[in-house]
Amino acid sequence: MMQNRRIRRMAALLAAAVMMISMTGFAAADEAAPGELRLAISRDITTMDVAKTTDDYMIPMNVFDRLFETRPGENGAPAEVVKSLCSDYSVSADGLTYDFTLLDGVVFSNGSALTASDVQFSFERLLKIGNQNTDIPMEVAGSDAVMAKEAETLSGFTVKDDTHFSITLKTPNAGFPAELSSPAMSIADRETMTDGFGTEPAETIGSGPYIVTEWVSNDHYTLEYNPKYRGEAPSVKKVTAKVIPDANTQNLMFQNGELDLIDLRNQDGAVIQSIYKTMYADRMVSVPNVGMIFMILNEKQEYLQNVKVRKAIAMAIDRDTIIATLYNGDAKKENGIIPTGVWAHNNDLEGFNYDPEGAKALLQEAGYAPGQVQFEMSMDSTAAGTLQLVYQAISQMLEEAGINATVKTYDHAAWLEKRGSGAMDSFLGRWGMDYNDPANIMYTFFGTVDNSTHRSVNYPDTDVIARVAAASAIVDDAERMAEYQALEKKLIQEDAAWVSLLEDMHLYCRGERVKEFVPQWAGFTDLYVTDVTMNE
Amino acid sequence: MLKKLLQALLVMLLVALLIFVMLRIVPGNPVAVLMGEHGNQETIDRMSKEMGLNEPVLTQFFRYIGNSLKGDFGTSISMGKPVGQLMAAAFGNTLILALGAALFAWVFGGICGIIAAAKKGKIPDHLFMGFSLLGISMPVFMVAMLLQYLFAYHLHWLPISGNDSWRSFILPAVALGWNSAGSIARLVRSTLLDTLEDDYIDTARAKGLGRMAVLFRHALRNAMLPIVTMMALQLSALLSGAVITETIFSINGIGRLAVQAIGSRDIPLLQGTALFTTALVILGNLAADGLYRVLDPRIRKGA
Repeated sequence: MMQNRRIRRMAALLAAAVMMISMTGFAAADEAAPGELRLAISRDITTMDVAKTTDDYMIPMNVFDRLFETRPGENGAPAEVVKSLCSDYSVSADGLTYDFTLLDGVVFSNGSALTASDVQFSFERLLKIGNQNTDIPMEVAGSDAVMAKEAETLSGFTVKDDTHFSITLKTPNAGFPAELSSPAMSIADRETMTDGFGTEPAETIGSGPYIVTEWVSNDHYTLEYNPKYRGEAPSVKKVTAKVIPDANTQNLMFQNGELDLIDLRNQDGAVIQSIYKTMYADRMVSVPNVGMIFMILNEKQEYLQNVKVRKAIAMAIDRDTIIATLYNGDAKKENGIIPTGVWAHNNDLEGFNYDPEGAKALLQEAGYAPGQVQFEMSMDSTAAGTLQLVYQAISQMLEEAGINATVKTYDHAAWLEKRGSGAMDSFLGRWGMDYNDPANIMYTFFGTVDNSTHRSVNYPDTDVIARVAAASAIVDDAERMAEYQALEKKLIQEDAAWVSLLEDMHLYCRGERVKEFVPQWAGFTDLYVTDVTMNE
Repeated sequence: MLKKLLQALLVMLLVALLIFVMLRIVPGNPVAVLMGEHGNQETIDRMSKEMGLNEPVLTQFFRYIGNSLKGDFGTSISMGKPVGQLMAAAFGNTLILALGAALFAWVFGGICGIIAAAKKGKIPDHLFMGFSLLGISMPVFMVAMLLQYLFAYHLHWLPISGNDSWRSFILPAVALGWNSAGSIARLVRSTLLDTLEDDYIDTARAKGLGRMAVLFRHALRNAMLPIVTMMALQLSALLSGAVITETIFSINGIGRLAVQAIGSRDIPLLQGTALFTTALVILGNLAADGLYRVLDPRIRKGA
């Protein structure tokens, strides 16, 4: 009897607990406020300061302004550089000096006026910290002295008054305005750029459409509409970005209505096919990742120094199969170095077609028996799942052509160290364009001997390297394009110094509350929140 | 006890040295990871020098130990914040999660074990031992995903992820404690069954005590020694081993911090989290020793 009473009491307690959980639990999914955009990020940002990151651009893109912005082209047209804080500019005949006029009446979110000295301070600060994003301000005359802490200010930066200033470069660079549209060149309030800048929301002040109001490490950050923003009020009034490292959890949250927009980059291909392309087909948004997936062949490696071997490798890779099977068709073949979507891209450039028999013949011509050519394809352990599969597929395709390419996985830090030493035989890389100018990719890999070594390319032709470096100084756009395309032809067709593979699509899916979304022009994971329109 | 404390301190020091040296032997520069694709060798070299990474390992080690004793665990390379501050923010969540998991494991596992022992060879015994086998054999990520799918996605009873409220911790605590519950259930059953065969239990029965009184007042009390020891050890393991659970349920805890530190080769953060979890395991062992002495007078008296 006593025992039964105890059991009944325990059962009642259990039922009460379940009821309590279920009653409070039905409101489990976060209710969004009107105009609130809920996003998931796979890892937390490390800083909000562009002097210390080249990856975490979401907050800089939305909290700060820049002199120029790169906007996606209408109806498939290439992206274009448009004026932002800069209302007008002119360039001297020698291409060295740019005169800028700032928009009148721009204020930061704290009410301070944005002036030319804020622009100067933002540029100089990148050099003084000397950590990340120093490449662009290093082009300005006097930058070496600032970087070496021998000078306080840039001799090539002259502030004329609050809204007028000029910048003199060391060498002409026609792509300078495009470079200034990079999130790296964000302008902040010089008065607030002190110790807490980039880590404390209250001290991270810009003139962009949003204010960062909260950042809880490893948990979430919040952006809210900046009422002092000069432009029209955006549709999204608040952004809550939660750190959700697990792709499956993100997936469940989206399907549960807890996310308003999901970046599908981390989702498995099978999940995208079976869930998103099936259940949410009308809400899918895609944009090319303006950039390239490519294969690097180290020209100092015993076998890869032979141009015939490099050409044979390019011919042995069946890119159509890779795109159809591993990317489910969400990619396109690339033949050059300058990717589709960048203004100097050459659509007519011929690459190497898949021809395994031709590859075998070339190897024979080079004096190598089947299986004799051996090298390592070094894979970064943090490479995306699909890229890891591409490694395996290519290794198998090369084996069929008589080339022995072994895939070896390295921890990220070890991989970077090996590549940086110039001793990596081969790897598959991905380059996303930071700004719409061919120099961004050409200079990085072939602009200097150091750059070429640091990325284990070890391209030996110093004349070509000098021409790549000089190309950014050509002032005439048509002449500059012709030079880049000629260089690209030489590097691809004659030297096989770069094996172009593909440009993949970046897929997103809108939730029910989002009416429209235009991704960043180059397919960044980070987005301009003003390009999201809510239904309510 | 003093001897054990000194041993624990020595172990901590050795572990600190081991972690320190190992992190510096493996190839890869944390600054290069921080710089990512845009890093150039000149900047990497300059920053490595500024961070003292080029100094002899022993110099770095003694400076680290000296600073740690003052409560300064350095600054995270990847997050730019003091390691102590990051760990303090994360530890609260890990503690709630581990305590919740332990509570679930002890209560659920304990009840299953007691019922199984009381109903030896009958349906409840087979049922609960089947459950415990499931608990031991199912990997934590699978339990976590199943719970997420059933209770959060399908039934909408609990949040899918996060650490906003106590409700957010229910599913992760169950997922994390599932395995321990299985072990506890088996241990409780076997120790109870052993105890129930002792002579004093027959005496208690002969005195006319009821089944429940014999089970709870006599058998369970005497069977508690190995169970409590296991519980103490489990708690320290739960505190230091919640990496997968924290990742799946997006809980900002010590485990996730450690994973982040490994990915970015963030030496100060990795050292901090590794030392912290080592300290937890050592403390868990000391607590188990202490409990043993409290529960067993023979040990206390040095018998």
